[in-house]
Amino acid sequence: MAHVVVERRQRASMIEPAVVVKGLVHMYPGRGEPALVIDELVIGEGEVVLVTGKSGSGKSTLVNCINGVIPHLFPGDSNLDPSTHSGEVYVRGLAVSKTPLHILSTVVGTLLQDPETQVLNYDVEEEVAFGPENLCLPPDEVNRRVSQAISSVGIGHLLGRETYTLSGGELQRVAAAAILAMTPQVLIFDEPTSNVDPEGTAVLLDFIRSLKGKSVIIVEHKVERVLPFADRVILMDNGRIVVDTPASTLLDKVDVFTHYGVEIPESYEYAKMLGLNTTDVQQLADEIRKRGVPIHQKMRRKYTQTILEAHLRVFSGERELLDAEISLGSGHILGVMGRNGAGKSTLLKALMGVLDRKLQSDVHLSVCGVDLSRGNVFERGKYITYVPQNFDLTLVSKSVMDELSYSPKKRGLKDWRDRVNELMSILSLEEYSSSDPLALSFGQRRRVALGSALAAGVKVALLDEPTSGQDFAHREALGRELSKLAGLGYSFIVVTHDSRFAYRHCDRLAILSEGRIVLEGSPEKVFENSQDYGVPPPTEFDLWRRLGEH
Amino acid sequence: MILGQLVDNLLSWLFVLVGYTTPLGIIFGLIGLTGFVEITRFEKGRSLYYQLNPVTKIVLGLCVTTISAISIWWIGGLLTAILALSFLTLNNGLRKFVFALLLTTSTVVATVQGFAPYTTTLTLQEAMHVKALHTVWVWPGYFSYMGFQHTLTLESIIYSLQISMRFTSIALASLILVLTTTPSGVIRALSKFGLPIPVTFSLVVAMRSVPRIFEAIDTSMKAQFVRGLGSRAHPLIRPIYYVEALISSIVPVLVFLLRGAKNTAISADTRAFRAYPKRTYAKPLHYTRADRITLILLVSALIITVYAATHGYGRGIPYVG
Repeated sequence: MAHVVVERRQRASMIEPAVVVKGLVHMYPGRGEPALVIDELVIGEGEVVLVTGKSGSGKSTLVNCINGVIPHLFPGDSNLDPSTHSGEVYVRGLAVSKTPLHILSTVVGTLLQDPETQVLNYDVEEEVAFGPENLCLPPDEVNRRVSQAISSVGIGHLLGRETYTLSGGELQRVAAAAILAMTPQVLIFDEPTSNVDPEGTAVLLDFIRSLKGKSVIIVEHKVERVLPFADRVILMDNGRIVVDTPASTLLDKVDVFTHYGVEIPESYEYAKMLGLNTTDVQQLADEIRKRGVPIHQKMRRKYTQTILEAHLRVFSGERELLDAEISLGSGHILGVMGRNGAGKSTLLKALMGVLDRKLQSDVHLSVCGVDLSRGNVFERGKYITYVPQNFDLTLVSKSVMDELSYSPKKRGLKDWRDRVNELMSILSLEEYSSSDPLALSFGQRRRVALGSALAAGVKVALLDEPTSGQDFAHREALGRELSKLAGLGYSFIVVTHDSRFAYRHCDRLAILSEGRIVLEGSPEKVFENSQDYGVPPPTEFDLWRRLGEH
Repeated sequence: MILGQLVDNLLSWLFVLVGYTTPLGIIFGLIGLTGFVEITRFEKGRSLYYQLNPVTKIVLGLCVTTISAISIWWIGGLLTAILALSFLTLNNGLRKFVFALLLTTSTVVATVQGFAPYTTTLTLQEAMHVKALHTVWVWPGYFSYMGFQHTLTLESIIYSLQISMRFTSIALASLILVLTTTPSGVIRALSKFGLPIPVTFSLVVAMRSVPRIFEAIDTSMKAQFVRGLGSRAHPLIRPIYYVEALISSIVPVLVFLLRGAKNTAISADTRAFRAYPKRTYAKPLHYTRADRITLILLVSALIITVYAATHGYGRGIPYVG
């Protein structure tokens, strides 16, 4: 740990501080352990700092202490024990705990993870004007700031649009403009791309990269995407800074980041292993080949028997939203990818029979040899199941055991206990069997939702963006669980934006574009051309392809 | 004799079932949760309603509420008809008009179900100015445990229909405000009525959250049907399972919304919300000739109604004098 402190102090002495954290300890009410313990942290003017770490490591608590949300909105347990929030944070010379939040908001701006809940107003212009209006600025000044912020973020084309019609990526950019309108010098981006598709992510990160002269703190799991323009990387675990290093030296510490559950591209791991100071995929491929280093070939399950076949057409009035033929192999994981609005969720809902009532559909569906084309959700539910993106909404029982036995009981099945116990075991839920599902951690809740969907004995599950907003460790855990279940004969159609997850865990991929399947096959085949349809291949694939070219 | 009693019992339960399930059937079966989203969310338009100042529309709601409350039932009915027809002028008006009619029908049926079996003979005699009531149906004796009167009378049905005319007109006037005014327009209008910004902002966030709430409920309910709720029931009985799914969805939807509410609070407060007791606005709100004429008409109607009611022309329901 000593080298961390030395590096930090050296840097602090060289640059003007925008943010200074001293002796900060924060404990949430009812928790026995502090969520954050920072002895010293200095972030300089104009510095771009990437803060990473697995979920629950204290990243969001740290940024909430910098923007004043803690202690102004969430004060901790200081009434009971003053030690639950101690120390001080200074932002451009202002002591955060002693400065009113509205004054801090002109110095530090925060973009949050979920665009849906942070955008408050009806149209784009109103949203951007919200902050300056709260500051009681004259209308002319408000309008000037709105124009400037909209121009900086490049969302002029969204003017006049209703915020509820915007995609996740567009919403995030509107939220970013709303923060810029407050003219802060310190900007915090708290997992800004978690709920955004790859194209939206690229645009948002380009915007962040374009910010000049501002101090930027980015909390992000997608390390690979931020590293090219980050000056410095901070790794957090258990509320403490574990590594604080210049971005250029990250390669030396790859194993530490991997150890703490942070997503590091495979190319970095190979570079570290080969002792190379480059992450250029072509150079790495050349070196790997030269040295004869074995590369882990992804194993795909073989397609033996078709369990689901469908031809789906969905219309909204005269407009055709979807026209797709799809088939799923028994014990297979089929990934469905594509841009926002390509028809991925519509495909799942059409299969399940839960489409919005204003849409019309023509569905030909056969599962396990049974024709379900005319079946409604009640009949299709005997053969297939569906887990929506917001899986918390499916948890309606008082205990995990009740949740998993909900479906078999409702369907009047008799021999369900063994299956439920088996799923509890596979999904590591046994010790929580009497816990309230909604009180469990994120990963545990996701496992309960998956288990309860499968408990009635269905063999086909449709999962809508199960990787959204999850860190690498959770996504890998999900991939392992799905693989294990696929080995037991369960089959999955998984809608995802996560190329790396698709490459590592799916047996086949289908790319949707404008309601049609434009690419289908093994991930290796599909990723050759997926970029044309807004789906960038992961660097693992890039490395594999370059190795295969010779 | 026994067969007759059995049939009476079955029919009684059927009436109750139909009374309770028809409004739900209309809401879930014909309007649907997505239809609800459509009639609770602002969409841009060009007709008169969209051009009126939000203050004028709030005054419209207040006038309709007051007039319906103090005047005879058919005034409420007339207002309901006028307001429902005015939905045709909205953006995508025919669709919204149909939804408004369905919502009105659902409100009427629910009100009749909620009032007719429970209203006492004494109240009906006073309200309807009659001595003898016309029995339509005799409930089984044990229905009294549910608060039912012994008989269902024609007067009780008429009385509850008359009461429903109040609810329908008020509901439609409120919907017009929501459908034709942006949330920030509502904030500004309510601020002019002296409501503090945190209160008005809470209302605005609630307005903006309505579609999100319906979407969350829809997702939760569908997830329960996917997992087998109601799968063994006869299609005619399924509306009951919609109610069960709706009730079961309350906790997860609340938890889901509360998790989002934390973000909303952070997003607002880190943009200087509540910094000062007042705010400025980038765009001025216009007060036009149409507003003046509408306000004159509304206030005139209110004065006439108050005058008429206090001078014995057209009494309100329920009867109080």
